[in-house]
Amino acid sequence: MIKFLLKGLIRDRHRSLFPILSISIGVTLTVLMQAWVTGILGDMIDFNARFTTGHTKVITRAYSENMQQMASDLAIVGVDELTDDLEKEFPNMNWINRIRFGGLIDIPDESGITKSQGPVVGWGINILTDNGSDIERMNLQKAMRAGKIPTKSGEILMSDELAEKLNVKVGDDATFLGSTMFGSMAMQNFVIVGIVHFGTTALDKGAIIIDFKDAQEVLNMENATSEILGYLPSGKYNNELASEIANDFNSKYSNSEDEFSPKMLTLSEQNDLKSMLEYMDSIIGIIIFVFIFAMSIVLWNIGLIGGLRRYGEIGLRLAIGESKGAVYRKMIYESVLIGLFGSLFGTIIGLGFSYLLQTKGLDLSSMMQNTSMMIQSVYRAKITPLTFYIGFIPGLFSTIIGTALAGIGIYKRQTAQLFRELEN
Amino acid sequence: MANSIITITNMKKQYPEGKGKFTALDDINLSINSGEFTGIVGPSGSGKTTLLNIIGSLDVPTEGEVITLGESIGKLTHRKAAKLRNKNIGFIFQTYNLLPVYSVYENVEFPLLLLKMSASKRKKAVLDALEWLGLTDKIKSRPGQLSGGECQRVAVARAMVKLPEIVLADEPTANLDAENAHNILKMMSKLNKELNTTFLFSTHDEKVIQYLTRQILLKDGKVVG
Ligand SMILES: Nc1ncnc2c1ncn2[C@@H]1O[C@H](COP(=O)(O)OP(=O)(O)O)[C@@H](O)[C@H]1O
Ligand SMILES: [Mg+2]
Repeated sequence: MIKFLLKGLIRDRHRSLFPILSISIGVTLTVLMQAWVTGILGDMIDFNARFTTGHTKVITRAYSENMQQMASDLAIVGVDELTDDLEKEFPNMNWINRIRFGGLIDIPDESGITKSQGPVVGWGINILTDNGSDIERMNLQKAMRAGKIPTKSGEILMSDELAEKLNVKVGDDATFLGSTMFGSMAMQNFVIVGIVHFGTTALDKGAIIIDFKDAQEVLNMENATSEILGYLPSGKYNNELASEIANDFNSKYSNSEDEFSPKMLTLSEQNDLKSMLEYMDSIIGIIIFVFIFAMSIVLWNIGLIGGLRRYGEIGLRLAIGESKGAVYRKMIYESVLIGLFGSLFGTIIGLGFSYLLQTKGLDLSSMMQNTSMMIQSVYRAKITPLTFYIGFIPGLFSTIIGTALAGIGIYKRQTAQLFRELEN
Repeated sequence: MANSIITITNMKKQYPEGKGKFTALDDINLSINSGEFTGIVGPSGSGKTTLLNIIGSLDVPTEGEVITLGESIGKLTHRKAAKLRNKNIGFIFQTYNLLPVYSVYENVEFPLLLLKMSASKRKKAVLDALEWLGLTDKIKSRPGQLSGGECQRVAVARAMVKLPEIVLADEPTANLDAENAHNILKMMSKLNKELNTTFLFSTHDEKVIQYLTRQILLKDGKVVG
């Protein structure tokens, strides 16, 4: 009997091929969407963590009020002591210093007269300091478009768009003009040794990158920094863990009366990333919900049409002495089979596309010209354990639910009623 | 005494209709003996299908008693009714009701799959049934490739293959031309004589009537002769 029914299932494309195709398409889309959303948002979060927010970040309360200002007069003083404390309290975390500052860059010609000039955002990162830990963190090697990474004090990198605007090349001199931590004039000559491109508009438009120690010197920030970034040992952001650490730190070190006391923020408390994180969770929830809902309805209809097409068969099976329950049960078994195949194909195809998007990525930089948000311009999918079953399970269940719904009509009807319909 | 295999006493069948009830069959008293070739004759809407369905345990009487092969139809559970049909009753439908994705052979084999029968016995039974109906050369065809007359012969073979006690045929010739109608009736009549299978038809086809050994006239749900 089972063999007989399987034969029918395979031969009747309305019952096998078409449902399997529609389930596969739905599952593929779900898998792809999940991997895509996870990839993009995950990259975005990782990118933010590496470049600006850390997994946690220590700043002064005053600095936190208006971080965009990058005001060096609101810096943390006594960094060495604070870093020691942090390392003692949270020994597994990775703590690094960073100074971000604003100012002007001035390019002189041979005679020393200004050739071009423009506003810049300065990044004082660990290139020579701390064994050059930011070289890897900020992926400097990959960002290099020309020249080399600074190897000694006084050497800087410049973003490619700015270099083009100012008409400078590797080896040119540049003068930085700004204000020190104490509000006096800061002025320093540098040599541009490299041109960089990060693929993020915020950094590529107008940035200079200098060693952290150089930044401290220029801005007169002895034993001071604007930010201390903390990274979790896993290298991946975990909101609960980060919040725990931040709460712990703030209860011990932060003082709401003192605006220069330090304060620890988690990644999600910066750059509106909280909404991004929530968005990621909810969007995945929505995908699953919409999928199950839509697919159940589609499959219900396929089931209904299939059921109508099969009135003859069902009536006959009742007539030859199969009970209604047995007929209904076998319909469900068939749907399990169809659901399994459809979900399996869909998951495999979805994973295939996701893998392509994970390795190749999609470059949308031309569409992102004007954004100053900290986002990457190459979009990649990310396959996670969830990717393997996010489509599979709903695919299977919606098939079964769809068939069950369609079958109830048959089950509930009087046998005789089925026969009447069969005659027409 | 003749061997009665269907006995109906004071049977009434009502269907709910709006707020009231519609009486499809009323005060039916009948007895059908083993080996009869009987027709229930009446115009459309007279209750023929309803009567056959109740006798075949696909439906239940509202009042009175229907005993088929010793079982009281109104008292059977779903499973027991299914079992009764499975073992002892063959159905033939006006619209043949063959399964389009299966071959002639498979269509005829289908009822045997529910009966726990060995593969070799099954094969013999199917080939025998196909031979009785002259379908041996159509074994591999699909119903879509057959004429109406051939389709109904397959349906008869399917009803006969398990050698049931009773075959219930609901207007089996309604969709056939005269030649095919005569043909199929001759075959069924022959099977009735050779295998002593009881046949019960419903019909309003004049051509059928000449083959019947007994007629039951039905009008507006009542037996009138
Ligand atoms: N399931 C049902 N529900 C309501 N009315 C029905 C049902 N089955 C049959 N009837 C009614 O009972 C009457 C007899 O029907 P039927 O037995 O099909 O007649 P016949 O087969 O002689 O044409 C018809 O008027 C039909 O409308
Ligand atoms: Mg009828």
